[in-house]
Amino acid sequence: MLRNVTEYAKEGKPLKLISPLFLVLIFLLLSSTQVSADSSLTISDISSNKNEEIIPSQENEPLPDPSKEPEEKPDDDLGDITEEEGEEEVVQIADPLYPWNKTMYHFNDKLYFWLMKPLAQGYSAVVPEDIRLSVSNFFDNITTPIRFVSNLFQLKIKDAGNELFRFLYNSTAGVCGLADAAKMDFDIRKKDEDLGQTLGSYGIGHGIYLIWPFLGPSSLRDTVGRVGDYFLNPVHYINPTETAVGITVYDRVNETSFRIGDYEDLKKSAIDPYVSIRDAYVQHRKKKVED
Amino acid sequence: MGKNIISLILLIVLLIAPVSAHAGVPLETVKGHVDKVLDVLRDTSLKGESMKKIKKEKIRFVSEKMFDYAELSRRTLGQNWIRFKPEQQQEFIELYKSILEGAYIDRIVSYTDEKIIFNKENPLSEKTVEVQTTIITKKADIPISYRVIRKEGEWRVYDVVIEGVSLISNYRSQFAQILANKSPEGLLDTLRKKAGKA
Repeated sequence: MLRNVTEYAKEGKPLKLISPLFLVLIFLLLSSTQVSADSSLTISDISSNKNEEIIPSQENEPLPDPSKEPEEKPDDDLGDITEEEGEEEVVQIADPLYPWNKTMYHFNDKLYFWLMKPLAQGYSAVVPEDIRLSVSNFFDNITTPIRFVSNLFQLKIKDAGNELFRFLYNSTAGVCGLADAAKMDFDIRKKDEDLGQTLGSYGIGHGIYLIWPFLGPSSLRDTVGRVGDYFLNPVHYINPTETAVGITVYDRVNETSFRIGDYEDLKKSAIDPYVSIRDAYVQHRKKKVED
Repeated sequence: MGKNIISLILLIVLLIAPVSAHAGVPLETVKGHVDKVLDVLRDTSLKGESMKKIKKEKIRFVSEKMFDYAELSRRTLGQNWIRFKPEQQQEFIELYKSILEGAYIDRIVSYTDEKIIFNKENPLSEKTVEVQTTIITKKADIPISYRVIRKEGEWRVYDVVIEGVSLISNYRSQFAQILANKSPEGLLDTLRKKAGKA
């Protein structure tokens, strides 16, 4: 499994990675007109998937059920609920690439349990939390360009200024960004912004749901954002590429070391983890765009 | 005339007083419950694996008072709620509750020393309020909001929003998917299996 990653690392030259990405994007843009026609696929696929105990594939009770036609009793409380539900607006995303996404979901699931989790567990057993936090701060600091540019593009001038200040202050007083001195001394906190959110702030919708191997849940819009973020991330300009990918993997392992158990909990609490994660992704990104 | 003004002022005072006295009640209510849970978690007499069960039982007791599971269930199912017969609704509430408790109590028990800040209240509607809190961990600040509803003078939680992800919306999307090609009984069956009560 480890060899797989190093192989991936060796192949991972930026251009090689990106050109198929663009091809896929173009394909998706072209095919997005079929979204509504395809979306019925999702539901039928779910019922026929072999997803263990979650959806038992016993004879489905036919839909026409006495309970389906409720007695027409006007229920005040219920009327109230539907009213408020409308205000809460259910966020949804088209998933015409369900077969691909489901495959990638399983791939990432295995990637986590077989590789990332053991790596992160071993790593955090050896490396004390304070050092892991410093590493995390360091990576946050060098990815400032993503947040700075995203803020600027959203005309969040004050936030952009904050990011610039944080970078200068943390790089000096925070010793190369190892400490988040700007947060400790001035309570100026990192504001997580990226180009996907920037596009969202322009009113651009997700398009469709897309899960990428290694990278996890995304959407058409956020994938375009991620490609932009890629070029704004200084790590990707390191030569040779092997080193850049190695650093990226290390960053991921370090981040994962803080989150061991989160994914397990999510899976445990979900009735259908795939749908739960898809919904959580959309809700979470919506909140980030609004912030 | 003077009398009228005085009675008018009295009336206004009487009308306003309860309102201002109630401002902050949702937040205080949620905080009270959260503090009780924290007390259980910090109770040094309940240390060790053997005491975990007692801890969980105590937390379950608080959750019973803190959450309005009926409201939570109805809002989760949304439009689909009326497809359930009364006894199916009752069973749904019980199963959903046991799944939620099972999933989240483990997580709460593993809580360490994070600080919880109660930020503010944000009115959502006439009888619903959002209590915004932040959990400060060494790694990051996690925003958690409790949405509470007032019923018979009591504020109880019907939704929890963690980093923008609403619990009931998340389950709604899952249940809607299942109910799209299954009857309520089919969903209940899935839940029974999940809750280990098949």
